[in-house]
Amino acid sequence: MFFLSRQTVGRHRSLYAGSFVALAVGVFLLGLAATATAATVAYHGPASASISVTTLGGDGTPPQTVKVPLSDADVSGLQTVLSMVGTISGFITVFVIASTFAFAVASRRQELGLLRLIGATPRQIRRMVLGEAVVVALAASLTGAVAAQLATPFLLSKASYTELAPVKLEPASPWVPLAIAVGAGLLVAMLGARSAARRAGRVAPIDALREAALEPPRIGPARIVFGLLFLAGAITMLTLIRPSSDEGAVPLAMFTPMVIVIALTLLAPLVVPLVGRVWALPLVAWTQVSGRLARSNVLAAPRRSASLAAPILAISAIAGSMVLSLSFAADSAEATIRDAVRAPIVVTGAAPVDVAGVKAVDAGLPVQLVRVAADYAELEDAEGIDPGIAAQTRDLTELSGKLSDLTGNTVAVSKEMSGFEGYDVGDEIPVVFADQASVKLRVVAVVKNAFGVNPSFLLPLDLARKHAPDAQAERSFVLPADGVDPGELVKRLPGAQLAADWEADQAEGVRKGNRVGLVMLLGPAALYSAIAIANTLLMGSLQRRQEFVTSRLLGATPAQLRRMVLWESSLVGAVALSLGTATTVTVGVLIRHAMTAGVADVPVTVPWGILLGIGALCLILAVGSALAPTTYLLRVAAGETGVQQRE
Amino acid sequence: MTATAPAYPFTAPAEPPALLLDGITKTYRSKAGAVDALRGVTYHFARGSFTAVMGPSGSGKSTLLQCAAGLDHPTTGTVVLNGVTLLGLNEVELTKLRRAEMGFVFQAYNLLPSLTVYDNVALPLRLTGRRPARNDVQRVLEQVGLEGKAKRRPAELSGGQQQRVAIARALITRPSVFFADEPTGALDSGTSRQILGLLREATDRAGQTVVMVTHDPVAAAYADRVLFLADGLLTGHLDRATPAQIAAAMSDLER
Ligand SMILES: Nc1ncnc2c1ncn2[C@@H]1O[C@H](COP(=O)(O)OP(=O)(O)OP(=O)(O)O)[C@@H](O)[C@H]1O
Ligand SMILES: [Mg+2]
Repeated sequence: MFFLSRQTVGRHRSLYAGSFVALAVGVFLLGLAATATAATVAYHGPASASISVTTLGGDGTPPQTVKVPLSDADVSGLQTVLSMVGTISGFITVFVIASTFAFAVASRRQELGLLRLIGATPRQIRRMVLGEAVVVALAASLTGAVAAQLATPFLLSKASYTELAPVKLEPASPWVPLAIAVGAGLLVAMLGARSAARRAGRVAPIDALREAALEPPRIGPARIVFGLLFLAGAITMLTLIRPSSDEGAVPLAMFTPMVIVIALTLLAPLVVPLVGRVWALPLVAWTQVSGRLARSNVLAAPRRSASLAAPILAISAIAGSMVLSLSFAADSAEATIRDAVRAPIVVTGAAPVDVAGVKAVDAGLPVQLVRVAADYAELEDAEGIDPGIAAQTRDLTELSGKLSDLTGNTVAVSKEMSGFEGYDVGDEIPVVFADQASVKLRVVAVVKNAFGVNPSFLLPLDLARKHAPDAQAERSFVLPADGVDPGELVKRLPGAQLAADWEADQAEGVRKGNRVGLVMLLGPAALYSAIAIANTLLMGSLQRRQEFVTSRLLGATPAQLRRMVLWESSLVGAVALSLGTATTVTVGVLIRHAMTAGVADVPVTVPWGILLGIGALCLILAVGSALAPTTYLLRVAAGETGVQQRE
Repeated sequence: MTATAPAYPFTAPAEPPALLLDGITKTYRSKAGAVDALRGVTYHFARGSFTAVMGPSGSGKSTLLQCAAGLDHPTTGTVVLNGVTLLGLNEVELTKLRRAEMGFVFQAYNLLPSLTVYDNVALPLRLTGRRPARNDVQRVLEQVGLEGKAKRRPAELSGGQQQRVAIARALITRPSVFFADEPTGALDSGTSRQILGLLREATDRAGQTVVMVTHDPVAAAYADRVLFLADGLLTGHLDRATPAQIAAAMSDLER
């Protein structure tokens, strides 16, 4: 059957070019993530910038000596981002490839039926489709890997000396990471091709005789069952996005849309016609024949429409949810910061505050310490504070223990940290400071979370100063003396701001950080989805040459056909976007509820511009890439029909 | 509606038939309602016979052919091809039987556009895992008058030539039964004559059995026998009839 595979790949160039591009770009992104990760793994910071720590051991793990890099040589931030980029890109790749192959098979029913008619067994058809996939996948994966290798130095030079990786990164040996990317690409292609091949094997010989060779409207019971299972999983995950999930809520808000997308895609041949019918109502009412034609084309081939809708649905649901969740997270951070600061004035910088009219200055010292556990050691941010003053300038409400006990080798931990690690008042936490001193810190209090204001570990000021003599305050909270007007005091203090202004700046900083994160996380996925959307719609239109020629012969004008394609692609786009919007809204509402519980007056910032931009872009891409080939085909067809009419 | 239609023809055959239809009914069910396309067809196609099936549009001719060839499952009744009952076969066994015993020619030429004429004709052999002998392929191409066109693609051939490629492809496996559904439906009379001549030759020279659905009395006159189908039932036959006789019978039927 390999003989046939080779020939048919040539024939269905547009179909396979689509699969090729989709897979090559996917492997390119995975490959880049992998080579960059390899570069961070290969990076060994200067010895002075890291501390050696011996883990505690126990529970069958022997104590180990590990090197913990201090923050100025830490590349773990970049690693985290890269792994997330890899995950999202990988997900979208699987997704796009599966629907691309499914589409390719759906477009070839008649030809596959003919092969069956003249004696091909279902098994031979399956092998043929798989064979084609292997040819395409090999070529695409290798191309993607080579491109990734070529682009790696550029990416690393861009990533070096940034907040995520404040060091110079050099390309590492590319063989292992690229082999992983190519392997992943082949695996993804084979998985996607396998289900497509199975469907191809079920094409009946009689399909060769059916004029339009429309796909059967039924979808397999297995697909429905899996679709429902994923839907149930998604609903379960949605119910977990609630106030009590605290820190789990944001990751949940990121991954739940993926599960929803899988569920909706599996059920799409059922869902798309349903939603399509609704959107088609105005279309049929407002247009003449073209809207009606578009409606029946979309509804009569639910599987094909579903394949076209899939990439739009995926990116709009995932990007929309992420954008909205992060914006709401920033809203809640803003409210938290606002509530956590009690002092009316904040001074930025290390300069000592010594002017008249000041009652107390809370100049906490930021230090870093390594928390040592049984089988790992982790760098943590801490702050040395004067509990007497700090309790007046910030919200340090004790949930248990007493903050006033914070003297000597003691620590107060945030509720979050106590929740994660199970710390209670009286527990001892072994830590190592930057000066290599090992100390056991006794927990004296658990205090309220105050992200953006207090780190998770609060130490006595003297302890911080002892182990980090060079540490300097980065910002101080200032209490004016009785009767002194803060507005007047601010003017006399260099580097001072009213607390409200400082809080607004902090919130803006959070949003800016989120934007950078979003661009890094969603950039590649969005780029890939854009290519996938254009890809499937291009493929879809190029396959319809015969239909266009026939319609032209029947007397349809090119303008009518273009309008029909315009309405068709808009209809598919609208269906996909409404499902994506439903996902975004559901996740957004839940995450908002989860994050604002117990905080009053949280501002609502909906990034309308970005959200509408995503939707508009999807729609423009979809319509554009359906119309362009149509126009081209119609021009070609104009020549052909002329010839045929003369005959 | 009579489910127990009488067997047709009424005499039992002398030797085992190439193809036996026994009480075939076919009901299509869809949202729009049920359609009884065949309502009880029993017939024996003798080995080496050339049979034309005629009838008004929608009378069930194509359905009959598809059920007989195992492309579609009859709702009730059995089909026996060379002593093998199609009903009991699974998809792979059915495919192998189709490969070995049946040839198909349809109105749409049904060629793979990406393959050359040679490769299209050789394809059924390749599907059986055999390497096609160049001579065999050349021989059938000569037989249908397409020597010298082996390297062309279907798009570079006329409709009649494409139809002859389809016949060559059906001939190469030496099937015992040919199924043809309006094989000349889209061809001019001269080209039609060539195609029908090829089918006639298959029965006369190789003893193959031909079942052909057609609308054209001239085409039907090439057959040994013309069967008339109306509303899913066999209603009569003509043996060795002229086109004029067939046309007269058809207009009776359509009245
Ligand atoms: N797949 C199908 N689903 C539902 N009804 C069908 C299907 N195929 C055929 N029919 C119906 O069955 C009846 C017989 O159809 P069939 O195609 O066998 O007719 P025919 O005699 O070949 O007609 P024609 O000469 O026009 O080709 C018709 O009423 C037709 O509408
Ligand atoms: Mg018919």
